[in-house]
Amino acid sequence: MLHDAWRSLVRTTSFMGKELREVWRRPGVLASMVLGPFLIMLLFGLGYTGARAAFRTAVVLPADTTLPQDADFYEGLAPGRIDVVNVTQDESAAERDLRAQRVDLMVVVPQDAVNELRNGKQTEFLVAWNEVDPVNDGLAHLAVSSMTAEINAAIIRSAAAEGIDIAEGQLGPRVTNISPDVIAKPTQAVTQNVSQTEPSYVNFFGPAVLALVLQHLAVTLTALSMVRERLSGQIDLFRVAPVNSMEVLVGKYLAYALLSLLIAGVVGALMIFGLGVPVLGGYAASLGLVLLLAFASLGVGLLISLVADSERQAVQLSMLVLLASVFFSGFVLPVEDFIGPVQYISYALPVTHGIATLQETMLRGTVSSWPMLVALAGIGLALFAISLVRLRLILRGAR
Amino acid sequence: MSGVTRRFNGLTAVNDVSLQVERGTILGLIGPSGSGKTTVIRMLTGTLEPSEGELRVAGQVPRRFSRSTRERIAYMPQLFSLYPDLTAEENVGFVAALYGFSWFGRTERIRRALETVDLWDARRRRAGELSGGMQRRLELACALVHEPQILFIDEPTAGIDPMLRQAIWSELRRMRDEGRTLLVTTQYVGEAEYCDRVALLDEGHLVANDTAEAMRQMVFGGEVLDLEAESDVRPEILTDLREVQGVRSMGRGRMRITVADAGSAAPILLEAFQSAGVRVISLDEYQPGFDEVFAELVRRRRAERDGAEADQHRAA
Repeated sequence: MLHDAWRSLVRTTSFMGKELREVWRRPGVLASMVLGPFLIMLLFGLGYTGARAAFRTAVVLPADTTLPQDADFYEGLAPGRIDVVNVTQDESAAERDLRAQRVDLMVVVPQDAVNELRNGKQTEFLVAWNEVDPVNDGLAHLAVSSMTAEINAAIIRSAAAEGIDIAEGQLGPRVTNISPDVIAKPTQAVTQNVSQTEPSYVNFFGPAVLALVLQHLAVTLTALSMVRERLSGQIDLFRVAPVNSMEVLVGKYLAYALLSLLIAGVVGALMIFGLGVPVLGGYAASLGLVLLLAFASLGVGLLISLVADSERQAVQLSMLVLLASVFFSGFVLPVEDFIGPVQYISYALPVTHGIATLQETMLRGTVSSWPMLVALAGIGLALFAISLVRLRLILRGAR
Repeated sequence: MSGVTRRFNGLTAVNDVSLQVERGTILGLIGPSGSGKTTVIRMLTGTLEPSEGELRVAGQVPRRFSRSTRERIAYMPQLFSLYPDLTAEENVGFVAALYGFSWFGRTERIRRALETVDLWDARRRRAGELSGGMQRRLELACALVHEPQILFIDEPTAGIDPMLRQAIWSELRRMRDEGRTLLVTTQYVGEAEYCDRVALLDEGHLVANDTAEAMRQMVFGGEVLDLEAESDVRPEILTDLREVQGVRSMGRGRMRITVADAGSAAPILLEAFQSAGVRVISLDEYQPGFDEVFAELVRRRRAERDGAEADQHRAA
């Protein structure tokens, strides 16, 4: 009994040793696996500011207007959001510039707006843009909204000042002196972010990149390992030898888990000590999450390697998993923004749970998403079981 | 194996083959490419299930080999199936570990296996960097490392130079002499002489299963003598001799004579020719090559098959 268990352990570790040696023999691959992700993250952290350039804006004034011609005046209506490059009275020229994308926004001030207002009519002013990027489209709406609020506040401020003057003239000093600014903007928010981590792109995306890199490496490495053995005839040796599917699978899991941990350790260390990403939840908890994510990701890779017909297909499937992970995992776009059925795809990916829980653990110091941890473990176990059954069928040979 | 048939998508790769291999012998499975040799080996190793028939290896059905039986078996596949990035030593070590030998227990075995195939000096070279012949030897070392009792070896000499082929066969025979049982496939029919018995396969059919010498006798009906004379020889001279089983003219003054025993028949034939006034230049025993023997056996089987098919057509 003990002898059998010992031999089983020898067989299992033989796979581990063999896989690690094979990877070790390709130092270039190993180096790019470790340094590549870190360099990408470094470039992203250093190169991405997150700030969008202000919209290049043309302001079209009516003929014979008394309104200011100064670009700074109009930029002050939406500070940081618009960059007034042209104040003109030629609407056609401004529109040509907009269509030719020489300007991003065109604001047309109406004729006789003051009199219309004094006559109790709402004044409309045209703001036009020429945008195909949905994010910029949304930002243009935001800039216009901000501009409108500022113009409305200026009008209220002016009217309030006028009203106070009239009231003081008729009633004398009994009039309560309220500033027109308060009347125009009676409330003002005082903001505070209670998070322990200062929001920054490097901090926020650091754990996400770690999770994505870990899943991608685990999937890619394992996806190729078994498919090669199946196609080159090595599987026939396993079929004849006294080795079972559990020993093969556990051996491979151990090898690639160790390798994933090594890579995650190096990338994590560079991230933490090189880029200053915090680990508020502690190293032990983060390591536990990395292990869980590696376990589930290895399952994805092994399953690919057991169903793929060729190395090319295994690589293609790995890339599909990466592509799905970038779009649906919450790495770029929040998972909640997708419709219900698509969210199932998101939650079927180990990295979705990995990103959320690693961000929580490292940046907030707590894990409140216990269902995500359970889901991650569940995905790992389910994939292990499916891979085991599939490998058992393969080892049994053709019928 | 008894009455074993294997079909792939309606195509019969092995057709009603029955074979028995004695312990401590080499059975050579010989036949042209695509004759079903590898399919037979794969069924015997349990990697393929027969469509019909019964198989037993060491008393067990291959598809249900116990672990202890697997530990006594080795399989060397036809294609290079080792790990090119691992060294020769690591490849053998990995296979030894598959058979449960720990690092301490396998070091000596690895050395022995590599020395056996003359690869000890190349032990630190990666398998992918070895020549084709060295790779075949490395695979043989992997098959030997756990000292199996039964070896299934698929085309061990394919694509290997004649010198190395001889070396591999002498190693296989040495293993046979140690009491191991070997089933070896080859498409080089000349290698039949290294086997204790030969099973000749053609288009999935077992054409013959005997010793190589018996097959030669089967083809020629006995031993063969080649006569060369100064003038034409009339076959009637030999008609009354009971030692003579067949006569075939081979051209002017040349004749091929089949006899039961060449040694005893030769003086009788010489006397008969002398009596008939024929001046004999030479009378030598002819040893037909195995190529010729097997080609003839295959030709006969195919002629039988064609005849049977023609009968079927006529009946239809």
